[in-house]
Amino acid sequence: MSRIIIAKTGLDGHWRGTLLVSRALRDAGFEVIMLGMARGEDIVSATVDEDADLVGLNVGGRVEVVERILDDLTVAAPGVPVFAGGVVPPWVRRRLEARGVEVFPPGSKLEEIVAAARRLTRGPSPPASAGPAATPPTEDG
Amino acid sequence: MTDDRLTASGIPIKGCYGPDDVPKSVHGALEAGPGRAPFVRGAYEGMYRTKPWRIFQLSGFGNPADERERLLFLLRQGEGGIIMEHDRNTADHLYDVDHPEVVARREDVGLTGAVIIGVRDYETILEGIPIEEIYTHPGGAVVQHAPFALACYWTVAKRRGIDLRQLAGTGQSDFFLTYVGCITKQQIPPRAGLRLNNDITEFCLENLPRWVPVSIAGYNGADSGLSAPDELATVFATAVEYLDALADRGRYRPEELSHKVGGVNFRVGMDFFEDIAKLRAARKMWSDLLEQRYGIGDEKARQLRIHVVTAGSALTYQQPLNNIARGTIMALASVLGGVQSLGVACYDEALSIPSEHAHQMSVRIQQILQHETGIDAVADPLGGSYYLEALTSELEARAWESFAEIEGQGGFIEALDSGWLHRRAARRQSEQWDEVENDDRLIVGVNCHQIDETPFEIDGFQGTTDAWDQAMGRLAEVRSSRDGVAARRALHELERVCRSDGNVMGPVMQAVDADVTLGEIGGVFREVWGDWEPPIRP
Repeated sequence: MSRIIIAKTGLDGHWRGTLLVSRALRDAGFEVIMLGMARGEDIVSATVDEDADLVGLNVGGRVEVVERILDDLTVAAPGVPVFAGGVVPPWVRRRLEARGVEVFPPGSKLEEIVAAARRLTRGPSPPASAGPAATPPTEDG
Repeated sequence: MTDDRLTASGIPIKGCYGPDDVPKSVHGALEAGPGRAPFVRGAYEGMYRTKPWRIFQLSGFGNPADERERLLFLLRQGEGGIIMEHDRNTADHLYDVDHPEVVARREDVGLTGAVIIGVRDYETILEGIPIEEIYTHPGGAVVQHAPFALACYWTVAKRRGIDLRQLAGTGQSDFFLTYVGCITKQQIPPRAGLRLNNDITEFCLENLPRWVPVSIAGYNGADSGLSAPDELATVFATAVEYLDALADRGRYRPEELSHKVGGVNFRVGMDFFEDIAKLRAARKMWSDLLEQRYGIGDEKARQLRIHVVTAGSALTYQQPLNNIARGTIMALASVLGGVQSLGVACYDEALSIPSEHAHQMSVRIQQILQHETGIDAVADPLGGSYYLEALTSELEARAWESFAEIEGQGGFIEALDSGWLHRRAARRQSEQWDEVENDDRLIVGVNCHQIDETPFEIDGFQGTTDAWDQAMGRLAEVRSSRDGVAARRALHELERVCRSDGNVMGPVMQAVDADVTLGEIGGVFREVWGDWEPPIRP
C-alpha cells in the first residue's frame, strides 16, 4: 500500500481541505500518515522514517516556508514527489510548479487529487496534466 | 429533479407553497411583530429605520502599523466598527514570536493578521482612533487568546483616561472556531475555556455594561460542515453551557446574564431562503429557550442580536470576481433575515487575505443595499411568505431535535470532548463536497461554466514580509525596557488566580499593563491547565 504523508505547513488551523483530501485518499486505499501542523524537520524525518511514497502539503502560509521544506526533502528524501493544496494564490502556484510540485487550489476535484496520488506513487509519471488544479473551498475563522 | 429538491440542510421543498403550509402555531409569533417576543420578525421594533445594520468587516495583517492603516482605510470607506484580526501563528497559540514553532515558520508570521506582542502594539494600532466612539472587536476569536486581547484593548482605553463603562464592542472566544473548525496545535481544554469565558462575562457585567463579552459563532461550526439545524442547535447548546455554569457561580441570575450571552454569530451561505429562515428561527428559539428553561419573563432579556459573516466556503478560487455577486446575494439574505451587523467575506478569500480593493467591495456591497434598494424600509419584509414561514417552522423543529441529541450526549462540551460533534460535521462536509464532485450541486466556475483562466483575474494580496523581523525587534525592546520585577509579579499573581476560583481578568489586565507578553500569558495558561487532546485523529 502506498504511504502518503499529509502535513499542514503553517500554524493556521483551517482543517477543512486537509481533512477532505485525507479522507478521500484513505477511501482510495492509500495509507495516510497525518502529521497535522508540522515543522519542516518533522515532515522530513517522517518522510524518511515512514518510507513515504508521496508528501502532501496543505499550504496555509508563505511559499518560503514550503520552499524550505522542499529544499530539505530534496536532500533527505530525493525522489519522493510532493503535491500541495490550500490557499495558494496564482503566483505561489507558479513558484511551486516550477519546483515540480503539483498544486491543487480550492475547488479541485478530489478524484483529480486521488488520480495524481496514484500517478505520483507509481514510478515514472506521465507529463503533468494541465488540468484544473486542487483542494475544496476554504473556510474562514 | 423538480420533484425532489432539498434545501442545503436536506429539507424537502415543494414547487409552490400556500396558506395550509404555514402551521397555525406560528401565527401568534408573527403577530407579535418586530421587537416583541419571540422576535421572529426582528430584534427591534423599528429595525433598520432606527438602527441600520453595522458594516463590520474582519481585517488585519502584517505589522501593527499595517493593521492601523487598513482599519483607517475601512473607517474612511464607511465601516461602522472595527475588527482586529491577529496573526494566527502567535495569537491563536499564545506563542511569542521567538517560540520554536513560530521560528520554524517565521515567514508566515503576519500573513493572516497583525502580530501583537503586548499592549504597546495595541497602542500603535489604535493611535488616532477614537475608541470611545467606535464599536470594536479587538481580537480574541480563539478562546485562550480572548483575555489577553480584551485586556490589551481595555488597558489602552484606561491609559487614555476613558471610562471602561463608555466602551462598546464585542469579544468572541468562540468554541466552534477553537475546538471544531480551526483546531490549533496547542490549546487549553474546553472546561478551562469555559471558565475563561465566564470570567470575561462576569468582568463585563461589573465593568463594561456596553460590551458583548463573548460571541458564540455558529459560523465556524457551519463552515466546518454543520447543517443549518445543527448550527442553531449547537449555538444554543453552547449558550446553555455558559448560562448554567455562570448561574452555578451564584453571583448573577439567568435574566441578568442572558443579554450578555445573546449576541451571537451565524453563517449565511448560498441557500438563500434557508439562511433567511435560520436567522428568524434563531431569534424565536433563543426567546423560547430562555422563557421555558430559565423562566425568564422579561422580553428584553430574551432578545437575540445577530452578527453574520457570509460564507467563505461558498467563495471560489476560480473566476474570483464572481464572488462579488455571491457576496451580494449572501448579504441580501442576511439583511432580509434581520441581522444587526454584517461582514461580507471578500472576493479574494479563496486566494489570500483581502486586498484593499476586495475589502472596499465588501463595504460597498453593504452600502449599495443600504442606500439604493429600499430593503431597509420595512422590518422583516418577507414575513408572512408561505414558503418562508413553513421553512422557518421546519428548521426550528429540526433544530430542537438536534438540540435534544446534544443534550443526550451530555451537553455541548461533552459532545465536543467526545468527538461526536466533529464526526457529525465531517460527515456532512464530505457529503456536501461529494454533491459538487457528482455535479448534484453546481458551482459556477468549479463544476460548470469553467473557462481558461490564464492570465488569472487577480493574483492575490501579498501583505508585508517583514512582520517577524520587526516583531522580534519589538519583543527584545519590551523585555529590556519594562520593569522586570513588576512583570514577574504580575505573572505570579495571574498563575495564583488561575489556580483559584477568582476572576482572571483583573490579573490579566495588570499583566498586560506591566508589559507582560502574549507568550508569557500563554505559558501560565499551559502550566495551569495543560493541553487539550483533540478527540479526532484526522
